[in-house]
Amino acid sequence: MLRKRWSYIAVRILSLVLLFSGMNLLYKHVFFEKDLQKYSSIINLIRDVPPDVDIIYLGESSNNTAHEDDQDKRKISDFIADYYPGLALYDMTKPAAHAGIFKVLLQQLPAESEVETLIVTLTLRSFNAQWIHSPLETSLQKSLVLLLPNPPLFNRFLLSFKAYEIKTKEEREQDFKKQWVEDKLHFPYEFPHEDVSQWNRWMAYKGIRDEQGEIDRAQTELACHYIKAYGFQIDTLENPRIADFDAIVELALHREWKLVFNLMAENMEKAGQLVGEDLIFLMNQNRELLKHYYGSKGVIVVDNLSSVEDQFFIDQTWTTEHYAEGGRKTIAKGVAAALLTWYPDEYRDARY
Amino acid sequence: MLFNTIDFAIFLPVVVLIYYLIPSKFRWVLLLAASYYFYMSWKVEYILLIVISTLVDYFSGIRMGKLEERRSRLPWLILSLCINLGLLFSFKYFNFASENLNVLFSKVGLAGKIPMHELLLPVGISFYTFQTLSYSIDVYYGRQKAEKHLGYFALYVSFFPQLVAGPIERYSRLAPQLRERHILSYDNLVNGLRLILYGLFIKMVIADNISPIVDQVYANPENYASGHVLIGIFLYSFQIYSDFFGYSTIAIGSALLLGVRIMDNFKSPYLAKNISEFWQRWHISLSTWFRDYLYFPLGGSRVSKYRWVLNILVVFLVSGLWHGANWTFIIWGLLFGLIYLIEHVLNRSLKLQKEHSAYSAGHLLLALKTFFLVTILWVFFRSQSFGDAMHIFKLIVQNAPSDPQQLLIPLSTWIFLLLFIVSDVFLYKRRFDSWVSGMHFLLRWAIYGVLLFGIIAFAGVENFPFIYFQF
Repeated sequence: MLRKRWSYIAVRILSLVLLFSGMNLLYKHVFFEKDLQKYSSIINLIRDVPPDVDIIYLGESSNNTAHEDDQDKRKISDFIADYYPGLALYDMTKPAAHAGIFKVLLQQLPAESEVETLIVTLTLRSFNAQWIHSPLETSLQKSLVLLLPNPPLFNRFLLSFKAYEIKTKEEREQDFKKQWVEDKLHFPYEFPHEDVSQWNRWMAYKGIRDEQGEIDRAQTELACHYIKAYGFQIDTLENPRIADFDAIVELALHREWKLVFNLMAENMEKAGQLVGEDLIFLMNQNRELLKHYYGSKGVIVVDNLSSVEDQFFIDQTWTTEHYAEGGRKTIAKGVAAALLTWYPDEYRDARY
Repeated sequence: MLFNTIDFAIFLPVVVLIYYLIPSKFRWVLLLAASYYFYMSWKVEYILLIVISTLVDYFSGIRMGKLEERRSRLPWLILSLCINLGLLFSFKYFNFASENLNVLFSKVGLAGKIPMHELLLPVGISFYTFQTLSYSIDVYYGRQKAEKHLGYFALYVSFFPQLVAGPIERYSRLAPQLRERHILSYDNLVNGLRLILYGLFIKMVIADNISPIVDQVYANPENYASGHVLIGIFLYSFQIYSDFFGYSTIAIGSALLLGVRIMDNFKSPYLAKNISEFWQRWHISLSTWFRDYLYFPLGGSRVSKYRWVLNILVVFLVSGLWHGANWTFIIWGLLFGLIYLIEHVLNRSLKLQKEHSAYSAGHLLLALKTFFLVTILWVFFRSQSFGDAMHIFKLIVQNAPSDPQQLLIPLSTWIFLLLFIVSDVFLYKRRFDSWVSGMHFLLRWAIYGVLLFGIIAFAGVENFPFIYFQF
């Protein structure tokens, strides 16, 4: 009786195993590619990488945004390539991408790829609450599910059952507003505001005054925006972006890639003018933290944070890392100088 | 926590496993904690509403249970009705009432304006409010003894499989099962899983693939040729059915895994021969609620002809309003009432119904007629306003855009929809679990394979919450 029961159960378990194996084969060979193109076309960025490329530049919109008056509208990565004409440099640019996206993309890079060096865009702003809880996150995370290192059918199962963080725009807004209150600011001197939320409210109330002493609404709004964008202190244990960059470092170690983190320029000039030294203090503190934290892990961190002047920032009413030609060339120059460590013989002065 | 998410796929097996591992006297604690956790996964604060409803109805029930005279129980019933319906009104109908009163005020020249609130509608408030009200009313009428155990009562109000979108259960059916000492039964386990599998299939593969197509048509109907608008309307009939039927089937299957049998909510409603039968097959737990707690107390059919007509219209109007705070729902309900009455008169005089057995040609024709009528009425249900609904009807007749947008429907969607329709025909007289249990092993496993593969490989990937959650 017991034997019969066990064989009954065994037949069913075996049927299930066969069923899933068959389904995985069917899915992998007939439907997977179509789903990849439909839901995770980001994979094409990796597929397009030539096998004999030496350097990959991982960027977001900062790489390919140009000003309409630019003489040379090429990307930052193109300008870097000008310094190393003998090396094959390939750029992988995805707007609004961050380290979490780069990490998954790099995991897809085939083992036979001859890539030696990665230049990864490191944007200070991507560590702030607003970017971490960006409304774009849901669709970005969704686009990565099929690329996870699992059997294709299992990944499709995860996609079908929404195994990624689904939040509405309103919920994400609530999340970053909550973080603005919960993350306390610590200064080595007396500072009147406990958190970004208080600081922002104070600025909105006090306002930026024009020459006539009237509140300049546009400038005040921009000042508030700068506080919300840069008023934070990176916690290396809690900040999810740190975890993503750490994973890239680990992957690079494993795959023996040389790693450059390109700390992008922010408009510190404007931050100082609008908000003052307190905000500059926080930006510098975060800069030093990132440089030391990743420097100690063997990564070259190119410090471009304050290298671009206000005039080269395309967006003057918002915080972005979009630079006019002069700014892009400055960033490229910084990265090119860093690459000298590994490629001294390949370097040619592009005279930017 | 939606049924079709990875969270629920982890939550349910964990709860079921612990449920059968712990002594039965502690199971109510587990289920109550699980149910509250389940509800709080939407919005933590709103658990307070369930707690308030629970406490008010528990203490009202206790007080009513101690009183012999029905008349003396009345204040406690009124208290229960006021608190429960008051909460429902505040969250669901307040803005609608304010908006309409403000329009009225401005028309008669009054300057005052009632402010509106921006509170989110708590998930499932209409469902658990009606469930807990049925208990209070039953205790009032002496049909149900008052529950003395607060824990079991709280569990009755919040039992997670049917908490947020029904089926709306009666105390006399659900509560005794929650107290029972269930042992792990192979039949319950297998049938529960079969129902969950089928429910997930019709929600994730049918409803979620149709949903974006319907949304496209309803968002910009003027961009589509008349034929495509018509397709959008018909697809909505299948979307709302598969969405809600899918939810109910998963709920019934999940409860069955815990040994609890909750009532069926759908029985192939689009095969109904008339509107009356449609409502005996569509959202059965709500229809029977309105029958028992509104239609019968109003006098049912044991009143004068005119009063009966009024009773029918009142029941359908309230049913429409239950679905949402919008004139479109009221019109939808009233139109159902009117068609019900017209059919009643025609059926009596022409004797159309009784001669047709199931699956006969006559049945098929009448079912098509009912489906067509219901589909027309769904336009009011789906539209944002009465004007939008009329706009859709107008476009069906005369829309011919110079450069019509194409309505792209993948072949797989048509194939799965056809499979669903065929299965629904087979399920006219029985439920999915009993239907497949009678099949040959190979055929049964072939069906499991199709359903599983469909769910995994063809499920819609956008996040479409169950439509009835908004009610």
